[in-house]
Amino acid sequence: MKTRSITINVNGVAHSLNVAVNRTLLQVLRDDLKMPETKYGCGTGECGACTVILDGKKSILSCLTLAATMDGANITTVAGLEKDGKLNPVQEAFVSEHAIQCGYCTPGMVMKSVTILAKNPKPTEEEIRRELEGNICRCTGYVKIVEAIQKASEVMAST
Amino acid sequence: MSSRILPEFDLLVPQSVPEAVEMLGKYESKAAVMAGGTDLLVLMKAGQKTDYVMTLDEVPGLDYLIYDPTDGLRIGAMAKLAEIVDSDIVRTEYPALWQSACVNGTPQTRNKATMVGNIMRASPAGDCCVAVLALGGTVVLQGAAGRREVNIDNFWIGYRQTARQAFEFAVEFKIPAKVGKSAFKRLTRSDQDLSKLNAAVSLDMAGNVCQGARLAMGCVAPTLIRMKKAEEIIKGKEITDAVLKDMMEAVKAEVTPIDDVRSSAWYRKEVSGVLMKRTIEKALA
Repeated sequence: MKTRSITINVNGVAHSLNVAVNRTLLQVLRDDLKMPETKYGCGTGECGACTVILDGKKSILSCLTLAATMDGANITTVAGLEKDGKLNPVQEAFVSEHAIQCGYCTPGMVMKSVTILAKNPKPTEEEIRRELEGNICRCTGYVKIVEAIQKASEVMAST
Repeated sequence: MSSRILPEFDLLVPQSVPEAVEMLGKYESKAAVMAGGTDLLVLMKAGQKTDYVMTLDEVPGLDYLIYDPTDGLRIGAMAKLAEIVDSDIVRTEYPALWQSACVNGTPQTRNKATMVGNIMRASPAGDCCVAVLALGGTVVLQGAAGRREVNIDNFWIGYRQTARQAFEFAVEFKIPAKVGKSAFKRLTRSDQDLSKLNAAVSLDMAGNVCQGARLAMGCVAPTLIRMKKAEEIIKGKEITDAVLKDMMEAVKAEVTPIDDVRSSAWYRKEVSGVLMKRTIEKALA
């Protein structure tokens, strides 16, 4: 088949689409669904800018995923993290700890960070750095990002 | 140069193993088999063309890790590297495989990439590949006529070439039980980079005496290779500094590396023995 009819659930909303099989999930999110919050970085799995969450727990690269293989999948993008108009604690911590400079890596960083804390609510600095290995930031030097994740971990533990 | 745009192809989405085999029987080498896609799609973005891509995503029952103390470990074609990293059995019984999986790619790619896919890619630099070569085992291939098993020692037959026939696909990798003490080590420019040199060992030890050894190295030949002369040197001996010194010389003599973007032939040869020595010491630690 050259195209496939799929239904994907993005941030809780089901979309029925007919997609060309050589289109990536990232292309479909950005171009077809007009959801540009997920970023295109390298296109080859090195930088993590296109990270989204699959089925509520797995961080995957939307640029290395064929949309046609995502029939029935639940995808969360960074725009799907807020609840009732309130940002997710990870998003809040990225703001309060100044973990953002140009902002281009931020959606991918935030999505990866959410999965880190879901699996390990109290990660050490070393664990955070190891888990962030697949996300490249060329501005911050990572210190502020690590601090933001530690801050989010504290906030989430106290609420 | 990579256009980073996927060329056109036809997608095949089998819903069962028999259907997958039927499709491969029809399209043979015109079809590329895709497990996680983290490697194939990058190659295709760089210009590799294929008429058909057959995804195993919707074939049920291939994403298992099954361990039996007698029969060993069975890793299904769709078991993700992340599942290997999270497995206590792999960490304790097969440290070489666990250590290699932990550094293969990134957390995001490990959520999709598979160990069997890494083996099928047949890169001479594959991290999990060098680990399974040291541990030993068999690739289980499924064709229309049934299954056959190929020993990993005979599986990689050339640069990016395997013993798989075009009408078959790998459904499983099997590693024996009680493989002894094992470890993996690699050299990279930065952590996320591909290896410039990697090594893995498994050692069957009786006290201080090494009764059997499998020493494997990557990035030093068109395929991953075992260092058979070096294995013979340590077999039946206590692992002393003098034995390790002889072993290092044998490794250096056995490797035939090349110059490429990640390192030079000279450097690889110089450090090959050292890396193998350190991998042995890591296994015994």
